[in-house]
Amino acid sequence: MARAPLTPGLGPVLEFDAVGVRMPRQVRRRGGGRRQRLRRIAGETRRDEVWRLRGATFSVAEGESVAIVGGKGSGRETLLRLAAGTLIPDEGAVRRRVAVVPMIDVARALQRGFTIRQNIYFVGGLLGMTPDEAGDRVAGIAAFSGLEGSLDKYLGTAIPMVRQKLAWSISMATEARAYAVEQVLVVGERDFRQQCWTRVDQMRKDGVTFLLASDSPRQFRRFCDRAIVLEAGALVAQGTVPEAIALFRESRRRGQDTPPEEPETSTEESGGPL
Amino acid sequence: MLVLRDLQTQYKKFRLGYLWTILEPLGMSVVLWFVFSVLLGARDLGLQPYLLFLSIAILPWWWFTRGISATTRVFRRKGGQLRISLLPTELWILRVIASTMIEFLLSLPVVLLAMALTKTLPGPLIVFFPVAILVQFFFMYGLGLLIASWSVVVPDLARIVRIVMRALFYLSPVLYSISNIPAQVQPFAAFNPLVGILGLYRIGFWPEEIETVGAYAISLGICTATFVVGIIVFRRLEPRILKEA
Repeated sequence: MARAPLTPGLGPVLEFDAVGVRMPRQVRRRGGGRRQRLRRIAGETRRDEVWRLRGATFSVAEGESVAIVGGKGSGRETLLRLAAGTLIPDEGAVRRRVAVVPMIDVARALQRGFTIRQNIYFVGGLLGMTPDEAGDRVAGIAAFSGLEGSLDKYLGTAIPMVRQKLAWSISMATEARAYAVEQVLVVGERDFRQQCWTRVDQMRKDGVTFLLASDSPRQFRRFCDRAIVLEAGALVAQGTVPEAIALFRESRRRGQDTPPEEPETSTEESGGPL
Repeated sequence: MLVLRDLQTQYKKFRLGYLWTILEPLGMSVVLWFVFSVLLGARDLGLQPYLLFLSIAILPWWWFTRGISATTRVFRRKGGQLRISLLPTELWILRVIASTMIEFLLSLPVVLLAMALTKTLPGPLIVFFPVAILVQFFFMYGLGLLIASWSVVVPDLARIVRIVMRALFYLSPVLYSISNIPAQVQPFAAFNPLVGILGLYRIGFWPEEIETVGAYAISLGICTATFVVGIIVFRRLEPRILKEA
């Protein structure tokens, strides 16, 4: 029943076994939406699908922080969603020993029409908190995000930074043993970012596992033990963070001459350290 | 549990509008009663008292249409909620069906009002009323799973459903009783699952409806089949739903 089934006896925290997933292509096609839809109903065209990730095999041990290095469209968000189980693979299998909390644009799920308290219940619920747990943690979340005074105010048009901070605090309050983080390892203004760092460093020390996708090499260097390099949906390499960043930079330079096209022809040279 | 919490927060917003959940179906019953019973004087349409006959079917009908048309939209514009939701995907559908059901339960005083106006009391077979609610719930849940997952694949389904609903309103014994339709068509009516459900709602007031028990059996069977098919189709389409999120 549950979206992300767990495998209790698993050795590593998370294990990808030749995982592949097709996703609908997101570019707009010619010929108007209505006509396209009619065609699709008539069975003339199948919607284009591309392999967003294919042949990914790796595993993550308890307490590791793994950097997912790759540019836009390399499949890193797909990988994180698969890890958390909010996406089901078309081939291969994802096994996890503990629940993995997806921190993927959590702020977008906040509801304007709800109060901050209701949002904590709602988004916390999405991320796997029971109502009782959410109730217990409301105070802590409010304190961390500095919103104690406005718990029962509607979120309404709160500025993005407030939304980000609230989303971050809720996600971390799930007290999960593993997180799949897209971009938002630390958010907010300088002071708040410092608070975030303190918190995640502490969690890391406590053996919490992180998967981090980001555009910031600095975050990778500061936070991650090792790295996985993604390129056009294929797992190109695994290794240390500096190696991975170097590889990524080099491939990007090459990519400017010949843009990486056709993710379908993904080379399955997954695994294997550098 | 979460659904309950969800409902609570939703209902807080609409508490002012509670009166409307009563007034709307009541108004509709009265209008239809006025048109068919008073203006057209169709004495042999449905069963008497006609006002009660109408209102007891209109409420479940409303629940049905609202719930099902909401399921066509359930996976649209979720603002990335599905991307981070660790909850079972079925919950989104269950939530729609459950919240429309609560609306339905809250509007039940309309039936009491109609009973008072027509001075009618139900017989012992009224015990089937809760059974009808249960059957309708499971039927709607199955159909909701089916429609919600299909409408992700075929976005036009929402419009088709709207038309089918309109047709179904006239094809179902809301305005009339199935004893009103020609005998040779009656067996076909049995294949409409709503026939059985609405029959169960009415049986408490009009025990003579039990004659058509064979038809009920078929249409209840179809309810069960819908439930099973809904679950199977949903299972198969779930990866697809998540991809579109």
